[in-house]
Amino acid sequence: MNFTREELVRLAFPTLAAIVLLAAGVWLVTIAGESRVKAQAQFAAAHAERRQNADRLARIAEEEREVREKLDVYKQLKRLNILGEERRLEWADAISRIRNERELLDLTYRVNRQRLLKSLPGKPGSVDFYASTMIVQLDLLHEEDLLRFLADLRASGNAYYSVRNCSMRRTGQAATGTTITPRLRADCEIDLITVMDRGAKT
Amino acid sequence: MARHLLYFTADNHYLYSSAGHRLELEAKFSADDSGITTFREHLRGRKGTLFAVVADLAGEDFHEEQVPLLRGADRDAIVQRRLAQRYRDTRLAAALSIGQVAGPQRRNERLLLTSFTNTQQFTPWLDALEESGARLAGVYSVPLLAPALAARLAPRAQRAIVVTANRAGLRQCFVEDGRLRFARLERTVDMVPQALAAFARSETMRLAQYLATLRAVPRDGAPLQALVVAPRGERAAFEQALVSDARVAFQTVDIAQALGAVGLRQVPEGAGAEALYLHLAARKPPREQFASSDDRRRYFVWRLQRTVVAAGALAFAACALYASSRWLETYELRAGAADHAREARSAAERYARITAAFPVTETTTENLRVAVLEFRRIAEASAQPESALVHVSRVLEQFPQMDLDAVNWRLGGLGENREVERAGAAAPVRAEHAVIVEIAGRVNATQRNDYRGITGQVQAFANALASGGYQLARTQLPFDVTSEGTLTGDIGGRDSGEAPRFTITLARGLR
Repeated sequence: MNFTREELVRLAFPTLAAIVLLAAGVWLVTIAGESRVKAQAQFAAAHAERRQNADRLARIAEEEREVREKLDVYKQLKRLNILGEERRLEWADAISRIRNERELLDLTYRVNRQRLLKSLPGKPGSVDFYASTMIVQLDLLHEEDLLRFLADLRASGNAYYSVRNCSMRRTGQAATGTTITPRLRADCEIDLITVMDRGAKT
Repeated sequence: MARHLLYFTADNHYLYSSAGHRLELEAKFSADDSGITTFREHLRGRKGTLFAVVADLAGEDFHEEQVPLLRGADRDAIVQRRLAQRYRDTRLAAALSIGQVAGPQRRNERLLLTSFTNTQQFTPWLDALEESGARLAGVYSVPLLAPALAARLAPRAQRAIVVTANRAGLRQCFVEDGRLRFARLERTVDMVPQALAAFARSETMRLAQYLATLRAVPRDGAPLQALVVAPRGERAAFEQALVSDARVAFQTVDIAQALGAVGLRQVPEGAGAEALYLHLAARKPPREQFASSDDRRRYFVWRLQRTVVAAGALAFAACALYASSRWLETYELRAGAADHAREARSAAERYARITAAFPVTETTTENLRVAVLEFRRIAEASAQPESALVHVSRVLEQFPQMDLDAVNWRLGGLGENREVERAGAAAPVRAEHAVIVEIAGRVNATQRNDYRGITGQVQAFANALASGGYQLARTQLPFDVTSEGTLTGDIGGRDSGEAPRFTITLARGLR
C-alpha cells in the first residue's frame, strides 16, 4: 500500500510520538540501571565497612591488651628520645662525656647524613624510621674499654644504637713507660636510629 | 471515541451513535434524494468521525463457491475474479470463507460470495461520507453480524437460525459452526404479538424446509435450533406460538436478555432487534465486510496512527515496568546500604566508647602498633658485640698458647649466611640475620714444624669457640692440609721465630 504525502504527514506525528515514548522508555531503563549500579556499589561499601567495624569491635579486648603492652615500649622510646627529631648535639655531648668519664685515649667519630630507613603507613600520619651511621675509632688500653664505651653510649639514649660492625686489632706499639701507649685500636660502625611518628598528638 | 452507525433499510436510514454501552438515535433519513441532502447537511463539520454502515436489505445474495486452496495475493486475485464473475458491481461484494473441502485432486476452499442486488442505492451515501472526510470503518450487513449474535445467545449451538424482528422486517440468518450460510429478510407490517410470533414460526419453518431441500442441513438429523428474539414484553406470546417439532426446536430469547448478552444497556425508544447488530458492529465488528480498501483508506490510516502510538506507548510501558523493577531493586539496595551504614556507625561508636577507656596514648592505636612492631623488628635484627667478645675471651683463657691479633665483629645479612653455608659449615646458620665473628691469631709455644700439633691446637681452639650458640663457619689453618691445597715444609732448617697464624670465623643466628 502506497501512502500519499497527506497520509504521510498524518502518520508523522504518531511516529514521532512513538519514537519519543520509546526513547523515554529507554532513558528510564538506562537511568534505572545506572542508579542500581551505584546503589550496588554503596551497598558493597557499606557492607564492607560494617564487617570491618564489627571485626574491629570483636577484637577490641585483644586490642586493649596490645595497646597496654605496646604503650610501655612506646613510652620507653619516648623517654629515651628515640622518638622524635635527631639530637646530634646530645650525641656529641654524650661521646665527650663518655670519653672523659672513661678516660679513653683517643676517640674520633663521624656521623653521616641521616637517611630514611623505612616509612610505614599509619593513621593519621606515617611512622618513619631514620638512621644516621656513626663511624667511631677508639684507641684502647684494654678491650673492656670498648665494651664500656658501647654500654655508656646505649645508656645515654637519644637514639637506638645498632652496631653494624666492630673490629679490634693490636696496635703493635711497644710500651714506652713514660706515656700511656694504646695496645688496641677499635673501629666501629653504628646506626643511630630515631623514629618520627607523624600521627603523634602534639 | 464514539462510532456512528448508519442503519440502512429499504425505506429509511437511521443514524445511531454508539458509546460505551449506550446506543442513541441521532437522525433519520429517507432513502430518496432529500434524505441524502439531509445526510450531507448532517455530516457537515464532522470530519474525521468514525462511521460504519449496517445494511438490512432484502436483496442480499448468497452464493457458495469453491476455489483452490490458496493464500496471499493469489487467493485475493482468484476471489476478486469470482466476485467479478458473479456480480456486475463489486464495489460492495464480499467473499466469506466457510471452510475447506478435500476434492478428488486438490483441496478447495469453500467461499460464500455475497453482495447486494442493488449496490447503487449505497453509492450516494458512501460518496457523502467520503466527501465529508469521515472515516468509514466498513459496510456490514445484518447477516454478517449474525454469527456474533448467535455466539452470544447460544454459544454451544452448532447450527442455528437466528430470528429477529428488526425495523426492516423479520430477519432470519442461518449460522453453522460460527459461520454465516444463508439469510433472508421478510418485510413485516405492524402486527400484534401473536401474529408476529405466528409469522416468525411459519417463516422459520419455511426456511428450515428450504435449507433441507438444499441439503444445507441433514434431513434426518436433530431438529434445527431457532433462536427467536422476542420484542420487549412479547416473550409470552412468542413462546406460546413458537411450538417446536421434529424439524425445528424453537428457543425464545427476550430482547432484554439479548441486550444483556451483547453488553448493551441503553437503546433508543422504538428501536427493534437491529440494536443488537448495531452494537456488535460498533464494538466487535467482524473481519468480513463489503467496503473496498479505497473506501476505508481514511479509517486504515487512522488505525495505523493509533497502532503506531499504541506500540510506542506499549514499549514505554514495558520499559517503565522494567525500570520500575530496577528502581525497586535500587530502593532495596539503598535500604540495605543504609542499614549496613547504621550498623557500621553503631559499631564505630561502641568502639570509640570502649577505646576511650583505653590508656591515654600520645598517638593513635594504629601508629602505636606500627611504631612498636617495626622497632621490635629492628631491635631483633640488631645485636651488641659484648656477648661475642666475652665468649671469645672465656674460650681464650683455656688456650694460653693462642695469641689473638684481631677480632672483627659484624652483623651479616642473608647473603653472607649463604656464603658461610657454601663454605661448608657443618650446621649452617638459617636465620635472616647473623652475627659474624672473625678471629685472627697465632699459635705460640709450639714448634713451627710440628704441623700435626699446630693443626690439632687450632682445631681444638676452633671447636671450643663453636659453642654457646656459635657455629664454626670457616677455619683457615696455618698449613693447608686439604687435598686441593699445597703443603710446604722446611725440615731441619732454621726456625724463623714467627708463630703460625690462623683465622677462625664464627656465626650465630639472630632470632
